[in-house]
Amino acid sequence: MHGKMRSILTMLGIVIGIASVIVLMSIGQSAQNLILNQVQGIGSNLVFVIPGGSPNGRFSSPAAAQGIVITSLNQRDADAFSREASVQAVVPEVRGQGAAVYKGNDVTVSFEGTTANYFTVRNMMPASGYPFTKSDVDSFNHVAVIGPALAKTLFGENISPLNKTIRVKNLSFRVTGVLPAKGTGAFGIDQDNLVIVPLSVAQNEMLGIPYFTDIIVEANPAYDTNFVKSRITFILRHNHGVTDPNKDDFTIQTQEDVLSLLGNITSILTLFLAAIASISLIVGGIGIMNIMLVSVTERTREIGLRKAVGATERDILEQFLIESVLLTFIGGLIGIALGALIVGVVYVVLSSFFSFGWVFAFPPSAVALALLVSTLSGLAFGVYPARQAARKNPIDSLRYE
Amino acid sequence: MIEVRDLKKEYLEEETSTRALRGVSFSIKKGEFVSIMGPSGSGKSTLLNILSFLDRPTGGSYTFLGKSIDERDDRELARVRNEDMGFVFQAFNLLSRLTVYDNVEIPLLYSKIPAAERRARVEKAVRDVGLEEKLHTETGRLSGGQKQRIAIARALVTDPNIIFADEPTGNLDSQSGEQVLEILAALHQRGRTIILVTHETNTAEFANRIIRMKDGLIESDTPIVRSPRANGHSIK
Repeated sequence: MHGKMRSILTMLGIVIGIASVIVLMSIGQSAQNLILNQVQGIGSNLVFVIPGGSPNGRFSSPAAAQGIVITSLNQRDADAFSREASVQAVVPEVRGQGAAVYKGNDVTVSFEGTTANYFTVRNMMPASGYPFTKSDVDSFNHVAVIGPALAKTLFGENISPLNKTIRVKNLSFRVTGVLPAKGTGAFGIDQDNLVIVPLSVAQNEMLGIPYFTDIIVEANPAYDTNFVKSRITFILRHNHGVTDPNKDDFTIQTQEDVLSLLGNITSILTLFLAAIASISLIVGGIGIMNIMLVSVTERTREIGLRKAVGATERDILEQFLIESVLLTFIGGLIGIALGALIVGVVYVVLSSFFSFGWVFAFPPSAVALALLVSTLSGLAFGVYPARQAARKNPIDSLRYE
Repeated sequence: MIEVRDLKKEYLEEETSTRALRGVSFSIKKGEFVSIMGPSGSGKSTLLNILSFLDRPTGGSYTFLGKSIDERDDRELARVRNEDMGFVFQAFNLLSRLTVYDNVEIPLLYSKIPAAERRARVEKAVRDVGLEEKLHTETGRLSGGQKQRIAIARALVTDPNIIFADEPTGNLDSQSGEQVLEILAALHQRGRTIILVTHETNTAEFANRIIRMKDGLIESDTPIVRSPRANGHSIK
């Protein structure tokens, strides 16, 4: 190709295309890592029991997640789980919303009613103060552990919330502990604005319901979670009188299920981003094709000469294909370097200005894909100009002015 | 080496057809130096294109080295052009941004000659035309005469049986033209077959036989007898 400037300008399209593929795949991967880390942060060996079946398989949302109130999970189920050797701990939960008030400050919050082992099982021990105890739950004590953001909203920076009394849904609660800052959880629950109260109080005095929103089961470390899942399935079918597995009125998800589901979702997202980025690759490829066509016309006499001295059509085809692939391959390499630079800058900015726990991810698969795609685009967009070159008649080409 | 019988070439363009060659017959033996002369439109370029396997005839027969052009496919024509034929053009057709070395090497890139031997051959070919000091100069910087000598080196590098020279002095001043013709004459002395196409009588007379063409036919086919004087060329 004549002129380095023209080659560089031609490559620019591929460079930008590849850089955007790299950046988007890398950011997708980082987002995936971030989400998966948060899910893993919930605690390991956990099995989630949600009321309502999910008849279309585990990737459809259970009825509970669609806002349908299902009342099938109850204390009898929780007690049966507790008797299982493969189960280490059982944490029933109920959820609701209400106003939290301290002095003049008034804010709507989500509250959770649960048992004392919630804090260890969910890996949510208060950062200051204490969790409530089994006897608090048994005795219907009005005690609460609150999230750090809520503590700040209600009490401000300087007042310790510990042992202060707040009102939630018009009931008074003594604050015994404040949770560590965790940010918004994997399921969109803002853990920093949560109020956690004894299960007994929430069920009977705040919500007036005998059933549970969900039950979290911690597997005995000596047992595989899938075994626990099968035991729980057996117990629930027995307790609920289900004979047809397709008519289960509950859904059980292990953390692995959740991770693989989220992994799938974020992978699809990443691919989708990469697909969008590849549009710019097509534009870049058309640029390559255009410039190669110009080059073929300019080099008509050269092609004529090469054919006269013995080059076959195949030789000429190969020569021009190699040139276009070389252009896109070098463009791809530069694009990868540029993409890496952008990803690095994004990482530095996000990790210095936001407390996201953003992870630097530069997946080798993205590099491999980028190189493959840039080479293929060189081939795809080089074929037409190369064929034009190969088919030139040597007699006319030698006389071309 | 070359056998041509009743060779015809007709170009079809839309409704009209042009008969560029209307039945041409001759033969050329190994070691001959033949000039093909004629005014433009006489068919000499068409004849050269066919003889050099750049084009195929539409009638008659052409046998090169004992095998008819009709029995050879395009790949074989390319191979023969590469191995057995050398080309010198009026417009040199050098790649001006490449060096002398790279230009002369081009035909060898399409043969199966190993790199080490390529180097030796390129150097020898450039030495043979007396431009070894320009080996790594870009051909764009050479004078016209030097360019044509490099083009001859490129034609020689595959050690061909025959060299086709199409108006090789057409773009040169008389002194450079003479130099080029002397190189061709020297090649002929060493036993090389040369076919020279030209419309200048002076140039044609460097050969030992002149085929004159007119209107797609051979007008005359005359041998030249050299006088004993070193520089003298005259028609018998």
